[in-house]
Amino acid sequence: MSVGHIARLLEAAGIPTVIVAVQSFRKRLEMMTVPRALLTPHLMGRPIGRPGDREQQQSVIQAVLELLETADQGGTIIDFKD
Amino acid sequence: MKRQTTAKETFESFKNSFFYGSRVNMNFKFLEHLSESEADLFFQGLLKRLSEAYDRNDDGRVSGYIIEWQLKAYSHQKGFAYEEGPFAPLSKPLSELRLGLLTSSGHFVKGQDPEPLGVKNMTQDEALARVMDFLKEEPQLSSIPIDTPPEQLCVRHGGYDISGSKLDCNVSLPIQRLNEFVRKGLIAELASPAHSFVGACSQKRLLKKTGPRWVKILQEQKIDAALLVPV
Repeated sequence: MSVGHIARLLEAAGIPTVIVAVQSFRKRLEMMTVPRALLTPHLMGRPIGRPGDREQQQSVIQAVLELLETADQGGTIIDFKD
Repeated sequence: MKRQTTAKETFESFKNSFFYGSRVNMNFKFLEHLSESEADLFFQGLLKRLSEAYDRNDDGRVSGYIIEWQLKAYSHQKGFAYEEGPFAPLSKPLSELRLGLLTSSGHFVKGQDPEPLGVKNMTQDEALARVMDFLKEEPQLSSIPIDTPPEQLCVRHGGYDISGSKLDCNVSLPIQRLNEFVRKGLIAELASPAHSFVGACSQKRLLKKTGPRWVKILQEQKIDAALLVPV
């Protein structure tokens, strides 16, 4: 919820945001109509990936940046595909 | 024979004890959100998968199962609801972007402990025990220079299992991964410092007081966009 609120405040001030979170946060983020969010199928507390799994973490960062660039409306919440 | 004087523990109190009780475990605090019959199913399935994972040398069966139940347990969660949301379009391509990073993971640089609730050297156990106090407090923002060596980073947060973040900051504060993206030219810059706070905090204060102040801090960093990571 905290990050959803920060996202809304930043966007209102003109700064685009993108969130990367675990899928368990889907409901909360949808309810908050956050601007852009990528949902990852990871254990809570590890949204970017497993510790030490550099390749997986890079894929997630790549996907979240692509979402930042391509989303054209608020509430764009998509699932990360490996 | 000694007479048993303590009451037998019920299954309900057992499953709920993982949620800030005697068996506190942030990976399994979701059990509190399940009914007794759901929790029963969860444990049966977990035990089955533990032996299957051994036989097949595949621990993904266990972690995948736990993730599946975390998702199920939190799927009916209530919280703040907004019909519409502000949306600022991106003004430049990624290769020209100066990106900011803000996470709610509770990281801070060694020697710069934000000393939450006025406590010096608070342990993770104390943060877990005092999570209700955190939820009434205004959060504090920690500045993390993007070239901070991982061994100089600390993490403490009473709302999630920090063990992954302790092993590798990049799971929730991806400064090393983003620095690699800058080196490859995929984004132009990562603004330094990155920022982190403990997301378990007063939402009212965050919205009215703290958040607007943080927006100014990020605006002063002249960032083109921000990557936000909740845990």
